[in-house]
Amino acid sequence: MGWLAVGATSGCDRDEAVKGDLAAPAEANKRFVIGVSQSNLGEPYRVQMNADLAREAQAHPELTLIFKDAQNDSLRQRAQVEELVSQGISLLIISPKESAPLTEPVARVYEQGIGVIVLDRRVEGDRFTSFIGPDNRRIGQAAGKWAVEALGGTGKLVELKGLMTSSPARERHQGFWEGVDRERNPGMEVVFEADTEWLEPNARREMASALAVHPKIDLVFAHNDPATHGAYLAAKAVGREREMKLMGIDALPHEGVRYVREGLLDVTFAYPTCAKEAIELALKVLAKQSVPKQVTLGTRRFDKTNVEQGGVALD
Amino acid sequence: MTSVRGGSGFRRVRQLLPSSPLRQALVPLFAVLLLGVVFNANGAFLRWQTHGAVLREVSVLGIIACGMTLVIISGGIDLAVGSVLGLGAVGFALLTLPLGFSASVAIVLVLALGAAAGALSGLLVARVRLPPFIVTLAMMVFARGLAKQLSGGQKVSSYAQTADGQFSALVLPDIYSWLDGRVFWGQVSVVTLVFAACAGVTWVVLMRQRVGRYLFAIGGNAEAARLSGVPVRAALLVAYALSGLFAAVAGICQAAQEQQGDPETGLGYELDAIAMVVLGGTRLSGGQGGIGLTVIGVLTLGYLQKLLSLNAFSTETRLMLTGAILVAALLFQRSGRARAEA
Repeated sequence: MGWLAVGATSGCDRDEAVKGDLAAPAEANKRFVIGVSQSNLGEPYRVQMNADLAREAQAHPELTLIFKDAQNDSLRQRAQVEELVSQGISLLIISPKESAPLTEPVARVYEQGIGVIVLDRRVEGDRFTSFIGPDNRRIGQAAGKWAVEALGGTGKLVELKGLMTSSPARERHQGFWEGVDRERNPGMEVVFEADTEWLEPNARREMASALAVHPKIDLVFAHNDPATHGAYLAAKAVGREREMKLMGIDALPHEGVRYVREGLLDVTFAYPTCAKEAIELALKVLAKQSVPKQVTLGTRRFDKTNVEQGGVALD
Repeated sequence: MTSVRGGSGFRRVRQLLPSSPLRQALVPLFAVLLLGVVFNANGAFLRWQTHGAVLREVSVLGIIACGMTLVIISGGIDLAVGSVLGLGAVGFALLTLPLGFSASVAIVLVLALGAAAGALSGLLVARVRLPPFIVTLAMMVFARGLAKQLSGGQKVSSYAQTADGQFSALVLPDIYSWLDGRVFWGQVSVVTLVFAACAGVTWVVLMRQRVGRYLFAIGGNAEAARLSGVPVRAALLVAYALSGLFAAVAGICQAAQEQQGDPETGLGYELDAIAMVVLGGTRLSGGQGGIGLTVIGVLTLGYLQKLLSLNAFSTETRLMLTGAILVAALLFQRSGRARAEA
């Protein structure tokens, strides 16, 4: 595999690569190749994360990014991490599929003296440079508080959950009800809940059931924007979409934010892609500066009053 | 229900039942409907709105089950339908939205694409004699890959990101809201009528066209059929091409209902479609069955899901109950069939 070591700059065209502008500043004759190991590109969020990383890196001509898609397979991701190392990367950005099988491969990279920035999902222990992650529980709490305010503390709620065997769904659920605080707001009553497995057709089917059973629904909280969109379509089909507030999470530009802009959803909360922070940290690590071990990102709220201004930041 | 479960009661009920496959298929459906009436979720099950919703929700699966029926009767299987559905949805969204084709041209192109994908599977099964399971498994992977390639891994919607990172909104063509709408005084979903039309076409192919006879003969005994002069290759090609065509129809309906072409849509639908076909009473080994049975199987599974959904059963309970009820229905069918053949 020795010939791959030459690939510091040339090997990258074997994969999707984004090169910085060739008109590099004078001091930056140093070039860095960053390997990006993405757990899958089936989720729009991850496609967006890669696009954001590429866009953020474009401002820094000394950076070249090599992207690998593990197609939701932990062992494939491990192999791709090893490939990236043998391609001679200076830094690894990884969004791991799951923690246990990727902890050791990531640690081995870190122990070779290569910086590792872990995004969105964790690995175990502390053998990595830095972890950047959104906090699903805090996002859920922000959503719960908004729901209480929007309903004045009383109302009938439908909760359309994500895949409840996945941690984001559990944390969004937990956070939401912490935000609602039913001890103080006993009038917030959940009348229907279902697991949509994050899928829009499932959400539409479940919402149709909720609408058939409950003559009045005040608010729908779905764990992701596609599910909220499914709920909107179900409510619209029976002419009841104006009856209730519709809340989502994720706020991708072409999904949640767009739905808010078009007035389909009342509110959505951003699940940040971590890309901007990842590139900032990467530059620091490459310049041998110290970086925090953990960065927890806040969320942004998008509603019709602020959607054109890019939402409002919540801590 | 207790009398059906009980030992001697079960035998007595079974003896009362006629052994025609159609009536055997109806028993599980009526059992599910009866359960729905008992567990009616504050009367929600008794309202027409619920039944209209069931008919809309089963339509996409029902459409692919039509093609699956043809293929299974021929003794084969088509695992690619879920992926071809996704490919059809992406293709339709791409053609109508960013590329700006008219709806009718887009529909024709997408149907041709689906039929071509099916025909390619059919060609490999009929001419190269590869096992249908492997061929359609390969097509399942390939079509999903193509759908992701064409869409760039993103959902194709009326909202397009341009090169400079800005977003521009396209007008969603009328065909989307029309296909997702309802007719007959707002009582029947258009996609339900599409399902009915596909079932009708399948009935004509199976019962009124020579190729239908051929498919039954091939499924019964392919070698005997070939020796008695049945054009096995051509008939199989027709079956798989129609299955691909129906999957594309389902893809268009799915895109219209989601208002986007999602490259991931239809994941795992092939298994639901197979379950519906088998639940109706079409034999997985080929040679016996019919589209009427499949429609009953589609309704049985659809009503079962609605019943579980209306009563807000947890996902865990739903999966276990669905599995248990499927087995119970199949056991019931087999006992009836064994008696008929005795």
